[in-house]
Parts: sequence; structure tokens; C-alpha cells
Amino acid sequence: MRHHFSVRIGPVGFRIGSAWPGPIQTLRTLYADYPAPADGIADFTVRLEPGRPWRRFIRPAVEIRGDFTLPDAAPLPLAQGLLAAEMGMNLQMALGQRRYLLLHASAVERDGRALLMTGNSGAGKSTLSALLGERGWRFMGDEFALLDPATGLLHAFPRMVSLKNQAIAAMEAEAPPERFGPLLRDTPKGDIRHLRPSAAAVAAMDAPAAPALILFPRFGFAADERTVAPSEAFVRLTQASTNYVALGEAGFASLSGLVTTVPSFAIDYPDTASAVTQVERLWAEAAP
Amino acid sequence: MGGIVYRADPPAARRLVTLDALDLIYHVPSGQTHLVSEPVPQILEALVAGPADAAQIVTRLAAAHDFDPTGAEAVIAARLEELEAIGLVWRA
Amino acid sequence: MSDDEQSEAGRQATRRHALMLGAVTAAAVVSIRPALANTVGSVLNCEIPVPDAGRAGNYIAADGKLVARNTPGAFPPAPRPFTGEQVKNAMQGRSLPGTSPQQSQAYTAYIRRLQMGQSGFTCYQSLQNPRR
Repeated sequence: MRHHFSVRIGPVGFRIGSAWPGPIQTLRTLYADYPAPADGIADFTVRLEPGRPWRRFIRPAVEIRGDFTLPDAAPLPLAQGLLAAEMGMNLQMALGQRRYLLLHASAVERDGRALLMTGNSGAGKSTLSALLGERGWRFMGDEFALLDPATGLLHAFPRMVSLKNQAIAAMEAEAPPERFGPLLRDTPKGDIRHLRPSAAAVAAMDAPAAPALILFPRFGFAADERTVAPSEAFVRLTQASTNYVALGEAGFASLSGLVTTVPSFAIDYPDTASAVTQVERLWAEAAP
Repeated sequence: MGGIVYRADPPAARRLVTLDALDLIYHVPSGQTHLVSEPVPQILEALVAGPADAAQIVTRLAAAHDFDPTGAEAVIAARLEELEAIGLVWRA
Repeated sequence: MSDDEQSEAGRQATRRHALMLGAVTAAAVVSIRPALANTVGSVLNCEIPVPDAGRAGNYIAADGKLVARNTPGAFPPAPRPFTGEQVKNAMQGRSLPGTSPQQSQAYTAYIRRLQMGQSGFTCYQSLQNPRR
């Protein structure tokens, strides 16, 4: 492809090719401090392509293609090319990752131990991880956490944080402006702005952490919490993993080991300040 | 006389992890994972001695466990149907 | 030998515990379904061949097991794969298209017995995701 960019995020290398220069330039700026893929070899390829040759110029529409693709996915306008690239990378992970058990969860680390947060879209796991990353925790990722079946350790996947709607303003108050990507309005997921993880998070991205606490957060409710039994945590985590079944017995051992060794809580919170307080207290009890 | 006789894979075909009141069973041949409650693990253990119908399984269970025998055969038969539907047991 | 018998009896005695059989109607199994279907979007584009291509010479018995051709009571392979939607409807009571009720039952029994590695297994698994 005309324009391309390669980058390593955690243990995964990507090569993103594009028919248009714009998305590649934006990616280069946002991922400037990230390393290249190990040995220059990408694990996955993403391609941003026009569906028909003339759509490169006329009402340009970006089809998300790559090693793995969703045939029914609708294209995005070129103005949202950065979003297309990020979605393309997520898709490769969701469909192609086999080395690590992939959990649809955010993660932050402190003292070599990891806090995992998982739940449906809008539950707040992405925003909470970004916020904790500015409050003394090391940000590991907002979308995917990688569990190594061989060691039980969690590996970071610190891609651009995808902030949506109200979370954008909340984080603009916390992080310096140069760490933000362009504001993308009216995407399929509402308004989106990408936030680059801090330099410390990028520098530490190869350091795994031992999981110590699992949270199922729910944003927009009166503050509450309850213990989640291992059986419930297990089932919910299988639904938060796109490759649990594909990993077979290794996936089973990995996930059952996680829920039997790490406590889980469901927390409801009305605002992020309340959430941070609950998180710090539960962490003090789980990882003293 | 006698109900449907079922058999199961040998124990090596399954991995069992106890969680809380529930157990996890990973079935190696199918790659499927099941979350199960009593008396499922006990039924599978009872089938290790060989194919059996519900009544025979009740007898085998009674050797090692205490339970109310009233209606036990019907319960075991219902569980065996469930296990058959997911491929953990099949008709011998 | 008698020492073994004695210690075995001793072990059995200490192993006795109260077993909760539960009610007849209380389901005791929840099977984990792959979550991939949630990501993949339209699941109904996938296909399930009956039987999978590697075993196309076999017939399908009423219980879904593969048997030699011309086994009495067994049905020939389906001429073309079934779509996810067709199989989903069959699981809810309608017959698979182009089949008699008994043939449809044999085919769906075969599909229910699919194991990882056989064509159509992932398609079948993803059909069983609960609707959200």
C-alpha cells in the first residue's frame, strides 16, 4: 500500500497500510514513542482501503481490511480514518490472537500487581483505567488485557485510549493536551477522542503484572459493591474473551486459575471520584 | 426392565476444577467447558465403573454418599438427559 | 490383600457425605458459549456441512452418529451445507430445508455432537449465544 506504519503495542506487532496518507500521519504522531515490531516482523496486518477504486477520492470511505476481517462491517468516512485503524487493530486481536488469553478488560498496575476491570460498553472500564493512570497507577490498557497461559501473568496492551462522549471532557481535565488525538464527531460510537498513554506507561509496557483484583464496574448508579463468586466471575470472563474457546485446555486452565486465585467484586458508582475511592479501598484489602 | 444405559468417557477426558458450590468441567474431546452443580460430577464418577442406567447409578452413588432415595432415580435420569444433550454421556 | 480391603472400606467410610440431588426440573449444567459471535456481528452467515467434508462417505444415524452407507434407518449426507439461520430454526422445531422430520432430527443430532476441529463446530457454538 502507498502509505504504511508499523508499531509494537505490548507483545503484538502491527503493520498498518493505507490508501490515504492522513490516518498514517496521525498514527505516526500518536505512537511516536512506541517501538517498532520485534525483528521488524508484524504479527498482524491492517489495511485501510477504498471499497471501490473511485471511493479513494469521491466521498472517501475507509474499509477495514487485514489478516482478519468482518465481511459485513460498514466503511467509515475518511475523517474517521484513525478510528478505522484502531478498530482494525482491535479486530486482528479479537479474531487472531492465540498466544495469550484475550480479555476484553482494562488494566492498571501498582507494585507489580494488576487490577482488571471488565464489563459492557459504557460501564466505564476504559475511562476508569485512563483516570487511574493519571492517579499514580501504571496504565496497561483500556480494551484488551493479555493473560499468559504459561505464567498466569497479565501483559499490557497500551494502545490509544478510546474516550467516548462525556469521558472526553473528564480526561481533558486530567491529561495534557498534547496527548490527545483529533476530536472525531458523530462516529458509530458517538464522539470519540483518543488519548495517548503516558510516557511511563509506554516505557513499562513490556513488564507483566500478577493479577490481584478483578472488578465489574457499572457507571451511573448509587455507590454499591458486592463480592462476585468465582463461578460467576468465570462465566462473565468467558463472555469477555474472544479466544477462550480457541485456546482449548490452556484457556480453561488459565481462566479457572485466575478466578480461583484472584478476588472479584462488582461495583456501582455514580461518578469517577466515587469509583476511585472504592477501587483504592478494595485494592488495599486485596493487595495489602 | 431398566432405563436407558449411558456411558461416559474415562476420567482422563475431563478436567475438573472446583470453584464454589459449582464445578467446572473441561471436556477434552469436544473442547467444551461446562459449569455444573451436584450431582453431575458424582454421576460422571459413578460411570467410571462402566455403563449404567439411572437406577444403577443411584445404587453406585448410595455406596459413597448419603441422600434421600425417594425420587432419586427420576432426578438422575433427568441429569443424564442433560448430560447427553451436551455430549458428556451418550447411550451405550 | 485383606489389609487393602480394610483400608478401602475405611476410605469409603470417611468419604460418605451428604449429596444434594436437586429437583428433577433443576438444570445442573451451564455450557460456556464462545463470545466471539458477539464481536463478529452477523452470525447467520456461517455454514454447517452434514457431515463434514472429511467424512462425506458416511451416513447419519437417527442419533446423529456417523455410520456406514446403507445402514438401515440411516440418512445420506446433506447435499449442501446448512446456513446458521437454517440450523437455528431447526433447533427451535422447524425441519431443516429439504428434509423429512426424521432426517432433520438425525441431522440436528449430528450437529449437536460436533466437536472442536470438525467443520461447522464454531458455527454451531456461536448459534447458542443468548440473544442480547
